[in-house]
Amino acid sequence: MNGTLVTLKKELMSYFYSPVSYLIAVLFYLWRGFEVSALAQTFSTYQLDQDLFPSACYGLTSTFFMVLLVPGVLTMRCFAEERRSGSIEMLMTAPLRDFEVVLGKWLAAVAFYSLLWLPSVVLLWALTMPQFLGADLAFGPVFSAYIGMFLLSAMLLAFGCFASSLTDNLLLAAIVAILFNLGLLKLPDMLRNELGELATGYYADQWITKLDVMGNFAQWWARGLVDTSQVWFYAGGTMFVLFLTALSFSARRVA
Amino acid sequence: MMISVRDLRKQFGATAAVDGLSFEVQRGEVVGFLGPNGAGKTTTIRALTCFHPASSGEVRVNGFDVRTQGVDVRRSIGYLPENVPLYPDLRVEEYLRYRAALKGVPRKQRRANVERAMERSGVLEVRNKLVGHVSRGYRQRTGLADALVANPPILILDEPTSGLDPNQRRRIKALVKELAQEHTILFSSHILAEVQDVSSRILVIHRGRLRADGAPSELVAAGSERVLRVEAAATAQQLLAAVSGLPSLRCKEAEDLGDGYARLRARAEPMGDPREAVALALAARSAAVRELRLDLPTLEEFFYQVTEGSDRDEESVA
Repeated sequence: MNGTLVTLKKELMSYFYSPVSYLIAVLFYLWRGFEVSALAQTFSTYQLDQDLFPSACYGLTSTFFMVLLVPGVLTMRCFAEERRSGSIEMLMTAPLRDFEVVLGKWLAAVAFYSLLWLPSVVLLWALTMPQFLGADLAFGPVFSAYIGMFLLSAMLLAFGCFASSLTDNLLLAAIVAILFNLGLLKLPDMLRNELGELATGYYADQWITKLDVMGNFAQWWARGLVDTSQVWFYAGGTMFVLFLTALSFSARRVA
Repeated sequence: MMISVRDLRKQFGATAAVDGLSFEVQRGEVVGFLGPNGAGKTTTIRALTCFHPASSGEVRVNGFDVRTQGVDVRRSIGYLPENVPLYPDLRVEEYLRYRAALKGVPRKQRRANVERAMERSGVLEVRNKLVGHVSRGYRQRTGLADALVANPPILILDEPTSGLDPNQRRRIKALVKELAQEHTILFSSHILAEVQDVSSRILVIHRGRLRADGAPSELVAAGSERVLRVEAAATAQQLLAAVSGLPSLRCKEAEDLGDGYARLRARAEPMGDPREAVALALAARSAAVRELRLDLPTLEEFFYQVTEGSDRDEESVA
């Protein structure tokens, strides 16, 4: 596991060295700040139920920005840059196992992505102050919503790593990952439209509902409900994609 | 036995980059791996370092099988790839610390190992510079420091001096000589003088096959013809007649120099020395000799013979 820790540290460092990370952070914080304060104003003007506030936050455009675009952009360098610059030769001839490298790079992406989300907690905390919304936010739903976001992003970042391992072109890696995310978000709607009658059956409906990532946020995570089947869906998906990434990384060694 | 390669083959599509290569490297040897561009040097090295696996054949490094014990193999070698791809956004010392950690150097020894590797490869003065900002020579030496940092028993250096100026080349050469006392070294090059100076043994490969294997001086002596030059007070005809009884000389040519002397050039057999016989033959005809010289072949000539030269033979046979 030494290799994983060393890779994690180095990759995390390179996120902090990269201007792209700061660009994403600035964009996200500005956007999120405006949106959340506008939402808070709406809630206070119309005297809406404040318990719904966290789940309303997950419908904001800045959330979609973080879910749809950021994982792909953040992870595009992971392997594609190593291949482009040739430094993959140094990495693959160092005495560590391939999965240690993949795990280290993915963990670094998850850690940095989580750090990007962290300041948004401050926004929610500010809302509880009497000068602002004076909301009496329940801690549970907020916490579970972040857990859900963490699990989803772990999977999306794993896919970003996988996309990056397929090519030496950074842009292509980002686009593939973003298309995957888009597919994941749009899949439930597409299935419902395409299947028509078939989708209304009990089991079909259950399956499609499970796949509806953003719908599940509003329905479950943001209301403080933790559905273990979803936990397994994200955890299993993450492990599967990381396995594919390790295979793709090792493929160079296969004659 | 530090490196053992048996019947190594590597196919890229229809072309064979390495075609049945076998060789061994003993502990403490410094082996120069020679061959023209595209001969299969880098492909062989990449098979040794587990970067590209071989299509077939057996490769063992430090007793470990490249196929099944890759991590142990990689722990036994320090590798300097041809283009030295380093992370440009790290500082030299930072990069070496990272590599030492990656190679499993214990935390307590890391600082000392990095310091020693930087000192040996001469990068102390750029330790705080970004890798992307140092000159080509320093980058090469940073790569060398990387190869040394975990103090592995085997060093594999792929064209360590390519793209360097003559002074930098000298430094790297001196360093390789120094390192030879502690490590087994395999280094590739197509600069012959370098290999001759530094290595105790050379392997010449061409078109993926081993063409020669031995100490540089032995190879040159055994493999190439020598050139005899004679200038004596006689006509060209007389000179040719004088040496006509010596079967060891071939391709004899003579010319009159116009001042009463004539010059003879002839090829002598690889290990032979015909000078005494020629001197006696000329003395018997009372021809004054003002030059009698045997030119030993150079490694360059030898290299040409086993690579380009052999191509021409193959072509003429075909």
